[in-house]
Amino acid sequence: MANTLRPYLTCIRNTLTAAMSLQNFPCQDVERHNKPEVEFKTNTELLLNPILICRNEAEKCLIETSINSLRISIKVKQADELENILTKKFLRFLAMRAESFQVLRRKPVQGYDISFLITNQHCEEMNKHRLIDFIVRFMEDIDKEISELKLSVNTRGRLVASEYLKQYT
Amino acid sequence: MGEILRSADMVAVASHQLAQCISGHAWNVDLTMIAVCTNNEVHIYNASPAPSAVWDRLHVLQKHDQLVSGVDWAPVSNYIVTVSHDRNSYVWKLEENVWQPTLVILRINRAAISVKWSPRENKFAVASGAKSVCVCYYEEDNNWWVSKIIRKKHGSTVTGVAWHPNNVVFFCFQLYEPYAKRSFRLQVLLATTSTDCKCRIFSAYIKGVDSRSAATTTFGEIRFGEQLVQLDLALGWAFGVKWSPSGRSLAYVGHDSTIHFIDDVGPSPIAQTLALRDLPLRDVLFLSEKRLVAGGFDCNPMLFASDDTGTWNFVRFLDEGKTPASDVKASTQFSEAFGKFYGQAKRGVATESPSSAPGTYHNNCITLLNPLAPPGEQEIRKFSTSGMDGKVVIWDMSTISDALARLGM
Repeated sequence: MANTLRPYLTCIRNTLTAAMSLQNFPCQDVERHNKPEVEFKTNTELLLNPILICRNEAEKCLIETSINSLRISIKVKQADELENILTKKFLRFLAMRAESFQVLRRKPVQGYDISFLITNQHCEEMNKHRLIDFIVRFMEDIDKEISELKLSVNTRGRLVASEYLKQYT
Repeated sequence: MGEILRSADMVAVASHQLAQCISGHAWNVDLTMIAVCTNNEVHIYNASPAPSAVWDRLHVLQKHDQLVSGVDWAPVSNYIVTVSHDRNSYVWKLEENVWQPTLVILRINRAAISVKWSPRENKFAVASGAKSVCVCYYEEDNNWWVSKIIRKKHGSTVTGVAWHPNNVVFFCFQLYEPYAKRSFRLQVLLATTSTDCKCRIFSAYIKGVDSRSAATTTFGEIRFGEQLVQLDLALGWAFGVKWSPSGRSLAYVGHDSTIHFIDDVGPSPIAQTLALRDLPLRDVLFLSEKRLVAGGFDCNPMLFASDDTGTWNFVRFLDEGKTPASDVKASTQFSEAFGKFYGQAKRGVATESPSSAPGTYHNNCITLLNPLAPPGEQEIRKFSTSGMDGKVVIWDMSTISDALARLGM
């Protein structure tokens, strides 16, 4: 299973390097506005083809680009109900604090667990390669985090149960 | 603020960090001053392309409310024209060491993206997000600039404009009358690129501003705003259109990492497309009839040359780059042996380590290339680039042009 992780992440990294060619672009529909085109999708000529990279049926990554913004949506592997709940709660916790992450989107795109929105402003202020590194590392660490959480929930459950049942033995 | 970069075979001569992000720059005619747009201001520096020059800021032009997207400095009349995302344009005139702005009513209802003075400086063209191009000229009677809009044909935002150059420099035209007449004829052509992936050539002939002989061109009689040629070569958004010094050729880039060369621009042009394996380009600059340099998201200018048959080819990247940090070379046999033991782990670590940013002088996309030569010069040796990293870098081709000449380019 682990041997598909490297190609999956390399593919995402290469796609992001190509997709993150963003530039400042004033809105064509409303004067004096500057909006991330990938969110509004009003002008189809400004959008590029979305790319879906799947590792397997459960894990995938959708990258949508436009002339001034880029949206990355990730679906994390969730093997059972417990992981489902943990992922949802953990990523919701992160998304609520999207302000401090800057590139995080407050609500994930429909059908995915977490989304990033990167605009040309982010590319000007921050280093493009570091941004890509951040996203790829995030994807690597997310799996580890969820496994750790699951492990700690199970361990704690076992401890609590055995302590409680001690009074009956 | 400026770093000296000269070394044996390097093309980059000097680099100046001026702001967080630069949207455009323009030099004055004798290359002693540079106007740089950052945010909603234009900063004018006392500058020089010399390697050891220190640039100090002389003036700050503050009139626009939003990002200043384009600036151009007219060589003879010394006017600066600026356009901005707030739909306005100002023409600045230097009076007693203070720059006085004159508002130009562009009559567009969206942002302006780029601006260029015509070779005779009696007009300037503005590319706008209203899917149109404005050509503005000065009306003596009312003492203000009037705009005429080319409304039709563009499917999307116009990203760049380029005037067909004069064949002869101004002060020569009395001597070379026959050439001058021919050059004026073509001066009314305007090439535009747009995010609908097409490059078009329009006529910008304005009665009363351009001489009558200018109305007759290789295309025949034409009126203002008529589309003469439409080039649909790119699959991605088109940027960076420029004419060659003689005006025979045209080049532009597409966001699908292609660069297009059109020779013999006329009713039946010859087009060539080069597909590149790197990130898309943003702007081009003709160094001569046979050489072109282009810059873009790779942060590294690329040199292209055409051979005797007229075929264009990629020659090389101009930025040698600093030595990459990831070069881990075993220097002795002992460490090589150790390397074998730790080889597995090292390789594992290397793939997880952050990708090294390219060691180029620009850290972010190059958005504009400007020649550093008097106007009308047929062969350009030096040019400057500005980018989204806020730097202006000066490049000198003299060091490598001999090597290229030996290769027959």
